[in-house]
Amino acid sequence: MKKKTGVFVCHCGINIAGTVDVKKVAGDLAKHDGVDVSEDYVYMCSDPGQNMIIESIKENKLDNVVVACCSPTLHETTFRNAAKAAGINDFQCEIANIREQCSWVHKDMDKGTAKATKITKSAVEKVRQNEALEPISIPVTRRALVIGGGIAGIQAALDIANTGYEVILVERNPSIGGHMIQLSETFPTLDCSQCILSPKMVEVSKHPKIKLMTYSEVQEISGYVGNFNVKILQKPTYVDPDKCTLCDECTKVCPVVMTNEFDMGLTGRKAIYIPFPQAIPATYALDIRGCPGLVPIACGKCADVCEPEAIDYDMKAEIIEEEVGSIIVATGYDLYEKENLSEYGYGKYTDVLDGLQFERLCSASGPTQGKVLRPSDHKEPKEVVFIQCAGSRDPELHCAYCSKICCMYTAKHAMLYKHHVPDGQAYIFYIDIRSGGKGYEEFVQRAVEEDGVVYLRGKVAKVFEDKGKIKVWGVDTLAGKDIEIDADMVVLATAMRPSEGASELVKKLKIAMDKDGFLAEAHPKLRPVESVTSGMFLAGAAQAPKDIPEAVAQASGAAAKAISILSQERLFHSPMVAKVSLNLCTGCGMCVEVCPYDALSLKDGKVEVNEVLCEGCGTCQATCLRAAINVKNTTPSQVHEMIRASLGG
Amino acid sequence: MVYFGNIKPIKGKVHIEKNRCKGCAFCVEYCPKDVLEMSEEFNVKGYHPPFVKDEDACVYCQLCESICPEFAIFVTIKEEEEEGEKGESRP
Repeated sequence: MKKKTGVFVCHCGINIAGTVDVKKVAGDLAKHDGVDVSEDYVYMCSDPGQNMIIESIKENKLDNVVVACCSPTLHETTFRNAAKAAGINDFQCEIANIREQCSWVHKDMDKGTAKATKITKSAVEKVRQNEALEPISIPVTRRALVIGGGIAGIQAALDIANTGYEVILVERNPSIGGHMIQLSETFPTLDCSQCILSPKMVEVSKHPKIKLMTYSEVQEISGYVGNFNVKILQKPTYVDPDKCTLCDECTKVCPVVMTNEFDMGLTGRKAIYIPFPQAIPATYALDIRGCPGLVPIACGKCADVCEPEAIDYDMKAEIIEEEVGSIIVATGYDLYEKENLSEYGYGKYTDVLDGLQFERLCSASGPTQGKVLRPSDHKEPKEVVFIQCAGSRDPELHCAYCSKICCMYTAKHAMLYKHHVPDGQAYIFYIDIRSGGKGYEEFVQRAVEEDGVVYLRGKVAKVFEDKGKIKVWGVDTLAGKDIEIDADMVVLATAMRPSEGASELVKKLKIAMDKDGFLAEAHPKLRPVESVTSGMFLAGAAQAPKDIPEAVAQASGAAAKAISILSQERLFHSPMVAKVSLNLCTGCGMCVEVCPYDALSLKDGKVEVNEVLCEGCGTCQATCLRAAINVKNTTPSQVHEMIRASLGG
Repeated sequence: MVYFGNIKPIKGKVHIEKNRCKGCAFCVEYCPKDVLEMSEEFNVKGYHPPFVKDEDACVYCQLCESICPEFAIFVTIKEEEEEGEKGESRP
């Protein structure tokens, strides 16, 4: 029996009808061989439009439907659901994209109409050979993985764990807390950062549903949404956290002094150390980069004094395998490299600091117990210059993007400085003040009005040392004057960049990066917490520079998305996957090599498809010399017919 | 670079009893900081003793002291000596 096909052409207001004569397209299609019904409507996606399709399918007993409208990424689901409602299989409905691929990119009405007709005819040829397919159903592993233990990762992990699902929280450093735990106070409320973060950190460590893995890195990920297999490398700390009593005897005898990362290099620490007093998990770690050797004879001083015998030089790195259903990536940020900002004397003069170093100086738990002192001579600085956009918004030399948080934290720094040194003077060089956010603009105004911070609009030309002072040459573009300040200290609002190692992780996860190396979201407006790979979500500054409230909000969003996967019994996968014709397959394995999803394998001399891994991209189909592997509903015969129709045949 | 705080690097001063040395070079081989090197000179027994090549690198781990079969080498903490407290500073 001959199959009956219906065609429905949408005007989309004037989006399509402006460049395409929709009535003519519908009329031409009505004459096309095999088309029984051809109609047009002003908005096919509206309820009356959908009803028109449903009624027509029922009335004319149609087997197939083609809807000529916008891109299938937008309304394919709408129309397939309509087809299903009318009693035919979803895959008997095809979309002919005559908007994005035709009306929006052309101006000539006649040519546009002719092209729209060809596109629609080609879809008709395809749909006539479509087979009815049912979605592939897969079970869900109801656990989540969160990568990164900063504020975003902590929030996401807590949100998921509080709904009752198990979470594995992986952190690269010996303690969770990220950059937020290093901050002194937070804008715009000036509440102590550690005080608001440490309760969350404690909650993570005590939560029965959270498995915390610090000093660990994700090494390998395989699988697919709902069923990821993760290999996590747990690096040895050489200290047994269960035995360690935090007596601190080991650090007293350790001979090796290393840079303290937590204080951003402003203090030293021993090779065996606890990152900071509130560290979670509360235990010491031995940094083998500095330790003279793990052979007990090569020093061994820490083990000698350790009464509970918590130090174990034989500890080895372990690879732990875990099964999870969804993944949240919250790898955070790092500061722009020192070497790149030599024009401001960063890395050259000891009293030129970055924002995080200044945070440590202001912090009550910092190297100076909250006194603002110059690192070089430990004297109180009386004139401090803050330079905004150090590395940001400079497409020629540095990062083209705005680091977003610097305007606010510089205002906060200047304010904190004035609170610590009331007789001091703070100057801020800025390009623009970007203080969008609740209470943010008022905060900046407070810095100017209450604390007398001098804002100078202009760039700094040179920073150099002169007679114990740091001379800052700049320009005030509003007054049109050159400025020279004899500063005691210079603080740079350094650009944010994606954290070190993010690019390698991206490759392991098979998610995308944007041009600046931040993680790419699936859609900049409508899917801001989803990565391009389904089942993986983004949170925090790993996706783009953002402040704490935004990072927390995104983390909760990502957690909700992850839960929406974990809460399902089964997930459904598109059935448009590769299929092997066993009698044609020679087992050459070329398709196995090219498959980007590792969905193909050789079994008994023939290729086998893992339907769950296959995304239906068609790379195998294009590679196979014998047309032995084809994606369902995109068979060679369909493609030939589509080409024939497109050429006007 | 360390700017604040009490934690300062410990520097060791290596002392070699050249005439006790039998030139086994264990200290040179196992020093984790490569402080020592074998010298060309001869001691009274006719062996080549080691010499301190890079004293700044010494972190006072005392591995050389532990490993020397002839008790010919020992380390003291440098800073204390510079402050005038001459003599033994070993624990």
